Amino acid sequence: MADKPLLSIRNLTVRFGTFTALKDLSFDLYPGKTTAVVGESGSGKSVTALSVMRLVTLGTRAEIDSGEILFQRKDGSEIDLIKASEREMRDIRGNEISMVFQEPLTSLNPVYTTGNQVIEAIQLHQGLSKQEAYSKALEMYEMVRIPRAEKVLSDYPHQLSGGMRQRVMIAMALSCDPKLLIADEPTTALDVTIQAQMLGLMKDLQDQTGASVMLITHDMGVVAEVADDIVVMKRSRVVETGTVYDIFEKPTAKYTQALLASIPRLGSMTGKTEPELFDLVQEEDE
Amino acid sequence: MFMANKAAVFGAGLMIVILFVSYILPLFFSADKFAYAGKRHTAPFTDGGPLLGTDYLGRDVALIVMHGGSTTLEVAGFAALLIVTVGALIGALAGYYGGIIDRTLMKVTEFFQVLPGLLFALVVVALFGASTTTIVLAIGVISWPPIARQTRSEFLKQKNLEYVKAARSIGASNARIILLTILPNTLPVLIVQATLTMGAAILFEAGLAFLGLGDPDSLSWGYYVGLNRQYFLVNWWGVTFPGLMVFLTVLSLSLIGDGIQDAINPKLRGR
Repeated sequence: MADKPLLSIRNLTVRFGTFTALKDLSFDLYPGKTTAVVGESGSGKSVTALSVMRLVTLGTRAEIDSGEILFQRKDGSEIDLIKASEREMRDIRGNEISMVFQEPLTSLNPVYTTGNQVIEAIQLHQGLSKQEAYSKALEMYEMVRIPRAEKVLSDYPHQLSGGMRQRVMIAMALSCDPKLLIADEPTTALDVTIQAQMLGLMKDLQDQTGASVMLITHDMGVVAEVADDIVVMKRSRVVETGTVYDIFEKPTAKYTQALLASIPRLGSMTGKTEPELFDLVQEEDE
Repeated sequence: MFMANKAAVFGAGLMIVILFVSYILPLFFSADKFAYAGKRHTAPFTDGGPLLGTDYLGRDVALIVMHGGSTTLEVAGFAALLIVTVGALIGALAGYYGGIIDRTLMKVTEFFQVLPGLLFALVVVALFGASTTTIVLAIGVISWPPIARQTRSEFLKQKNLEYVKAARSIGASNARIILLTILPNTLPVLIVQATLTMGAAILFEAGLAFLGLGDPDSLSWGYYVGLNRQYFLVNWWGVTFPGLMVFLTVLSLSLIGDGIQDAINPKLRGR
């Protein structure tokens, strides 16, 4: 880990009214690596992602209390995403940091064709003509392996399956060649075979583009599949960070151990008629 | 979907006939509508007299009704356009930004909503004269609140959907999100509202004109009903035919509006 981190979250605290959604959160993301942020529902994974995009304060009562998020921009300068102006943020969103959402079914605008939306994303940042943007979009569709790409460009979202829509979302997210891709449970809404395809695709694309990925998930299987580093979160806090090998080999925090133990293992029920109860991890354990 | 709705198709057909009568027929019957056309109070369908009879001054009722349509339709059309634009804009801003902007704009909306509509319009027109512009403005000012409220509720519903978040995450600005991302998704509702609003605007225009607050030179339907009102006992056709036109126009707009609503709302389909 000699590299300078691409994104460095330092002591980030986010509140929703009186509720603290993130407490003193710190971790780093390194260039070209996939960092998985894992944890139970409500542990603050998505809030972390939205804070990085600075979308968290939108339409909610959330407030970023303190901390900094240092990001190395494409031009080599460093910027604190919390202090950046809205204009700078608009320039960064989609261009340098982009995001894939959990629900491919609702994250495309139903009134425009998918191509239209990808072209919009491209034109917003790259100053290309409509024609150039169209060929770029087509190229992106082929890159995310959408069959009949030309036809799908002129399809409306409702004409596509969930996996196809997620591919479109990924194409859109990668269209401006971002340095960081935030994937908020990108495979949760998809069925298992499509999940595997998506993960393989994301891994391939990462190798091609060299982007870092922040993968938010609660699925330890997915983590083992694609992640380099892991950040384990619980109740608004980071419980443990480390490389995927360290965490899977010798998890130190009790919560991480419990999280890993919760994965069913093949053969673990041999000779038993029903699953066994396991102890829930209590708050005092940390 | 729209075509399967018989009432809506009837409404659309009716509208085509009304537009034909108001805009195409006058091209062929361009005689002076104020000219003497026969003995006053000639009943409709009398031999030698005009088709729909004559009024209290011996003018041709059919000719006046034919020429009056365009005034009514234009006033109502412009008013509806104004209402939808203002209402959609205010509703969009209130719903999208929320907070203090929302509260302020909604208070303003409520203020306009509690104004007694016809009375306010009467005062405006009486003060500033009965020109087409004042009438359009008067109708517009009192009719936009329902559209604003409806647009606001749509924006509240849509703004937290993922596709809006996705649009923001590719770096779209607020103006872009309001106008190009969310607004097209509220159009179905707005189109229905615009159709129904236009019907209401026609009634409003007719109401104002009936009370004498119309342009005496263009003799819109409502105005003409008002003029013929005092001769109603001897001359029923003078009020009936222009009144019937108002009735049919509003009916056709309502049917079209309902048809569009049914066509875009799958839950109401096949009711």
